[in-house]
Amino acid sequence: MSGLIYFDNSATTPIDPRVSEAMAPFLAGAFGNPSSLHWAGREAHAAVEHARHQTALLFGAKPEEIIFTASGTESDNLAIIGLVEALDHRENHVITSAIEHPAVLEPCRYLQQRGLEVTYLPVDSQGLVSPDDLRKALRPTTRLVSIMAANNVVGTLQPIQELARITREHGALFHTDAVQAAGKIPLNVNTLPLDLLTLSAHKLNGPKGVGALYVRTGVALKPLIHGGGQERGLRSATENVAGIVGLGRAAEIAREDMSAEAARLVRPRDRLIETLAISLPNAYLIGHRYRRLPGHVCLGLAGQESEAIKLLLALDEAGMAISTGSACSAHHASEPSYVLRAMGFDVLRARGSLRVTLGRFNTEAEVDRFLDVLPSIAAALRPITTRQPESAPAL
Amino acid sequence: MTADDLPGLNCGLCGLPTCAELAERLQTEPKLIERCIHLSPDRVQGAKPASAAPVATAVPGAPATCGACAPFPERTTAQSRLAPTWRDTLGRDIDFYLEHFPEDPGPREIILPHNPMLTREMNIQPGEILIGRPLGMSCGCPITHCGVVMQVDARTGVIVWCVTGPLNPRQKGFKDLGYYIAEGYEGMVAQTRVELKIGMRYFFQPRMCMLQWRHSGLVNFMNRTSGGIQVRLEGLWIG
Repeated sequence: MSGLIYFDNSATTPIDPRVSEAMAPFLAGAFGNPSSLHWAGREAHAAVEHARHQTALLFGAKPEEIIFTASGTESDNLAIIGLVEALDHRENHVITSAIEHPAVLEPCRYLQQRGLEVTYLPVDSQGLVSPDDLRKALRPTTRLVSIMAANNVVGTLQPIQELARITREHGALFHTDAVQAAGKIPLNVNTLPLDLLTLSAHKLNGPKGVGALYVRTGVALKPLIHGGGQERGLRSATENVAGIVGLGRAAEIAREDMSAEAARLVRPRDRLIETLAISLPNAYLIGHRYRRLPGHVCLGLAGQESEAIKLLLALDEAGMAISTGSACSAHHASEPSYVLRAMGFDVLRARGSLRVTLGRFNTEAEVDRFLDVLPSIAAALRPITTRQPESAPAL
Repeated sequence: MTADDLPGLNCGLCGLPTCAELAERLQTEPKLIERCIHLSPDRVQGAKPASAAPVATAVPGAPATCGACAPFPERTTAQSRLAPTWRDTLGRDIDFYLEHFPEDPGPREIILPHNPMLTREMNIQPGEILIGRPLGMSCGCPITHCGVVMQVDARTGVIVWCVTGPLNPRQKGFKDLGYYIAEGYEGMVAQTRVELKIGMRYFFQPRMCMLQWRHSGLVNFMNRTSGGIQVRLEGLWIG
């Protein structure tokens, strides 16, 4: 029973060996600059364009609609700031949700300081944005709606199709931060009226330091990084060839395996939810029972929320990497508390969540081991109250 | 229901790789249909808002943070980021905000283990990482705190620590005090709406308190500096 268990795949994922194999030639040997006209440059250029094709296929997009960036955060910034700065209108309004990743919220706040009007839509207790709320929030000056496809903290899948359709009918553009959802749920730009979509390689068993932005043909953006005019002038800088090749391969694998992988992960996810609800009488599920990412479990422990740190430390000691929604891990992720707060949790509950996120390389045996260990660790925690906790809400 | 009635996306999110397989299972287990997120009513209707609050047009509430969130050893930035509301999360009035010293890794607290002998028995030393909860009298916070020891008085058992958060314990290991009493706070007052006087008891908001609950305490030391008023507060209570 040795070996480390990694159940924090929403934070990042291990690189798939098939991805590192694809990247290897570009880390050793193939060093060309894609902008060079000679043989070395042509080789690198072909690799980048192949990766663009692979990435575009994941969303049914055209290769020229994919812009490679250095991260999901950069893609979100380019989508939001790049779009707003390209506008000519005197008054501009952007709609987003209260539970977006900081990579969306912070650019919105930045633009707000410069005169942009921003509406932050509330969410319900399961983390869902209501299409009706979006309808009511739209104004004649609304230029962009940015709603994440899946939430990183609670795993909830937003009704993207409805939200994007309402936005399209109104005449505004729709951006989705699909960093958590891409490669896990079907996102096809031919059936979904998406105009901008953010992707990050390292959440897809690809390398860190590379992301992409899908930009529908005809959508005008201003670049954030100025220079040599790479990536259609939208993202100057010599391309991270190895990283881009890795992203392309990761996107290809994700596309090929998507259905089978989702179905494979739903089973251990549901087993975790159902078993923990029995073995931990005070456990409650956070987020929607089914409308969530395939490998994503977010639990609260009623009456023991304030001990989430200790739970994380004890599991870490047992070699099990999970994440807590503890505000005290805010340096890693300040988002948990504001996401749960927006979902109506009080400040104490909002910090006591436990996030278990399964990925491609997790096995049923690892889930078994986790289920063996967690109840005893949880039982050893000091509760805030000596009174036995009441049963948690039914799952 | 047949496969033709299902979305045909074969997304796998129901736990079955294809819509055809789901259709087959639905013959005997019709309840499985709730697992199809594309047919779920949420798709069209969304759901009811968590609160009756109207659509917010302002920045959503600042994330609740605690001293533990202070990026170690980054300086406080809360002061510059947040405009004073003069109220805590329960809507109660406060007199001032307490910030931690810029040179400290987090809010500075003077604490005493519930069994003060622990300081000697556990051989607590400056620089070590501790965790524990401020149980009971002074000041009753329900949150387990993590911090780094600054000073130790082996005779009285009193420890001065800075609350920093769980990153350090994870990386470096820790000693568990169990329960402790928060005897005093030291820090800076940069924003106040009353004139501070030694000997007076005030309601204040520790800026990094994760719950953003009002505390009260007696000011028994004051020193005006260019960065604000340095204070020491004792006789602490939440509320």
